[in-house]
Amino acid sequence: MFGYYLELAFRNLKRNPGLTALMIGAVALGIAVCVLTLTLYRAMSGNPIWWKNDVLYAVTMDFWDPQEPAWDDKPHLPPTQLTYRDAMAVYASDIPQRKVIMHKAVGILSVDGQGMLPERAATRVTTKDFFAMFDVPFQYGGTWTDAADAGPEPVLVISRKINEKLFGGANSVGRRIRWNDNEFRIVGVRDHWMPLPTFYDVNNDVLEEPEDVYIPFGWSVALELDSTGNTNGWKPEDIKTYQQFLNAEVIWIQMWAELPDEATRNRFQAFLDNYAMEQKRAGRYQRPLNNRLTKVDQWLVDNNVVGNDDRVLVGLAFAFLAVCLLNTVGLLLAKFLNGASITGVRRALGASRKQVFYQHLVEVGLVSSIGALLGLALGALLLAGLRSLYTVDPTDAGGTQAIAHVDVTSVVTALLLAFFATLAAGLYPAWRIGRIPPASYLKAQ
Amino acid sequence: MTAWNIRPIASALWRNRTGAILVAFQIAIGLAVLVNAVYVVKQRVEKIGRPNGMDTANMIWVASAGFAKDYDYKAAYSEDLATLRGLPGVKAASLFSNIPLSGGGSSSGYQSRPGEVGPKETVPGNKYDVDEQALAALGVKLIAGRPFEAHEILPPSETYEDSPQAIVTRAFAKELFPKDENFLGKTFYNGIGEPMTIIGVIEHMHGAWVGWDKLDNVVLFPRVKNGPSSIYLVRTEPGRRDAVMRDIEAKLGDSNPGRLLRWVRPFDYFINQSYLDDRNMAIFLVSVTSALLAITALGIFGLATFNVSTRIRQIGTRRAVGARRMDIVRHYLVENWMVTTAGVVAGCGAALGIGYWISVKYELPRLDLYYLVGGVLTIWLIGLAAALQPARRASTISPAVASRTV
Repeated sequence: MFGYYLELAFRNLKRNPGLTALMIGAVALGIAVCVLTLTLYRAMSGNPIWWKNDVLYAVTMDFWDPQEPAWDDKPHLPPTQLTYRDAMAVYASDIPQRKVIMHKAVGILSVDGQGMLPERAATRVTTKDFFAMFDVPFQYGGTWTDAADAGPEPVLVISRKINEKLFGGANSVGRRIRWNDNEFRIVGVRDHWMPLPTFYDVNNDVLEEPEDVYIPFGWSVALELDSTGNTNGWKPEDIKTYQQFLNAEVIWIQMWAELPDEATRNRFQAFLDNYAMEQKRAGRYQRPLNNRLTKVDQWLVDNNVVGNDDRVLVGLAFAFLAVCLLNTVGLLLAKFLNGASITGVRRALGASRKQVFYQHLVEVGLVSSIGALLGLALGALLLAGLRSLYTVDPTDAGGTQAIAHVDVTSVVTALLLAFFATLAAGLYPAWRIGRIPPASYLKAQ
Repeated sequence: MTAWNIRPIASALWRNRTGAILVAFQIAIGLAVLVNAVYVVKQRVEKIGRPNGMDTANMIWVASAGFAKDYDYKAAYSEDLATLRGLPGVKAASLFSNIPLSGGGSSSGYQSRPGEVGPKETVPGNKYDVDEQALAALGVKLIAGRPFEAHEILPPSETYEDSPQAIVTRAFAKELFPKDENFLGKTFYNGIGEPMTIIGVIEHMHGAWVGWDKLDNVVLFPRVKNGPSSIYLVRTEPGRRDAVMRDIEAKLGDSNPGRLLRWVRPFDYFINQSYLDDRNMAIFLVSVTSALLAITALGIFGLATFNVSTRIRQIGTRRAVGARRMDIVRHYLVENWMVTTAGVVAGCGAALGIGYWISVKYELPRLDLYYLVGGVLTIWLIGLAAALQPARRASTISPAVASRTV
């Protein structure tokens, strides 16, 4: 019976090609816009490491200005980063299963004896657990040791992209490379990794590609590096030397801890609170005790990673889809009622209401399937357009452009949404047409 | 019989209300979206278009990063500046610690008197370390005082000292000294009580972050920052920017093997980047709203067409008993207007509700009622335009149809 209904549906759709095109077009456009905004929204709001949401915690501590909270609009939150001295003190704890302290830097890479121009590379100065903690994949080699962090030893990890540029993609573990003219040995090559957003450091553009080079944290002090991310302070202080900078009430270091269970989490929280109480006695931490361990999903909300613009756009996309669907319902209704005389004959010849309902539902299904497919194609096209919208300079790699790939999950979501929404929208016209008393149409013939 | 036949039209509409209700819903959504989209887009366009006080079109930024151990950055920047200033078509060139309107920069709190002051008395400023050609290179208007002189520029030092002189924007000075009009020679202080004297006042200039409400507060210090990475600002004669950029790449590209010429970029690059989200939001809103209105118009058109095609005999009968073409056209336009108006009434509520939400979220003033009036008129016009063709077609139905099939 389904095959026959499908054939009927095709025939019906061909009867008014203009109306059919309009319906399919409306569904397709609605889906395309939804694919577009959902992709954007997911890129912004998705938790890119959801499988570790219960064990990963951002560490923040409130030592800020006693007169003023760190955030005007969210006074209950501590600042997003730590001072150097607090980071070092908390990192010394062995309660977390894994822990990382880090900041952003910039280095110039060069390889001796290679006739290549030096390469500027965004660098993360971090500790050895970074890769295991955030499930960062390796193409070759691996991370460094505890000793390398403290030493610090001249070892580093480069990205697959840099490895392809400098070493043609060969296994470069053990090779020497210069970072800001200091000789380092490569111990690992990070594979493709693109967490969207870059939850582990929300200070700058969260749609940027992760850093291309990773060096042990000890190099920060050894080379007197400061952060190329965000540095912020509350206290007027006389900071003239690097040592004064390290001791200052200035935040520039991000800290994360991996705490496998509730008990460990509580122990670590107690450790943080103890530390803050000690500091209180020493005259620091004058605000109410407020040290937080924040899970990734809450972290993204706290840090406004999803902006108002994104919310407005998603709302707009759904308003758009609603209009498209209302339109389709209206058109379907008009179309079915137009063909009511044929339905009347069918009913008179013995088709039950149920059969008439199913027959029209198949037609609705056909419209929504074609619309969904076209919408997907159109959505892909719009995403390509989006990429050009976000590109200021086409030679810039990665960055915001990375969001403009078709994201499978959001496509499937939008497709299912559109297909079932259209089908649901078609229920009423299909039901309505089945209710028509056949006699009234037979009379007029 | 009233002139407009409201009652019979309404009752005909009511007999086939489902389609009309669906269209009215579309119109309600369309109006709510239209009014708020126009409101948000206008805000964005104004934000992007506000003057920044600089000679944007003729400015170039150059970034150099030394990396070699033996790189002598003090010699390098002097040499670079001499090269840049010697290029044909260059008006001025200056060192800059950061790039205005680039989303990256440095800010500090300042105060009008030394000692401990509350947060309310602290005035934030975007700060830049510059040299004696900075004002000429920016192309800003100096309304009082003078530019820095070459001998006043503090050389780079390993320790970070604040300079005793500063050139500030009027907005910054006014916030520090709200009761004064003449700011020249006034002294202000940084957080640790070091004094600085205002030697020049700039009429207007933008700082680092376009989303910051203190964007107009700028402080320039006569100082060269230490370290091997330098940023230069170059201002060219009008229209020579692109040629000068090529010259710079050629001259500085390999002049020093110990450094990397990171990039040479027009100022527009950074400004576009900073306003990218605002621009894209405006483009999104305009395109999606237009598509939404187009679909709504199609819905109105579809409903009117359907109503005509199911009533051919009735129209023929009306014509046969004396209705003029004009009456038929009017019937459909009035019918359609009723549907549109029902939608508009519902849409006004939705528009105000969404407008309220947006004004809270974006901290904007409440939606102006003019937008609502404009939106209602637009929707009415779209509705009329969409129904015109079906109404016309209805009026061409021959009175003879009435007698044919009965």
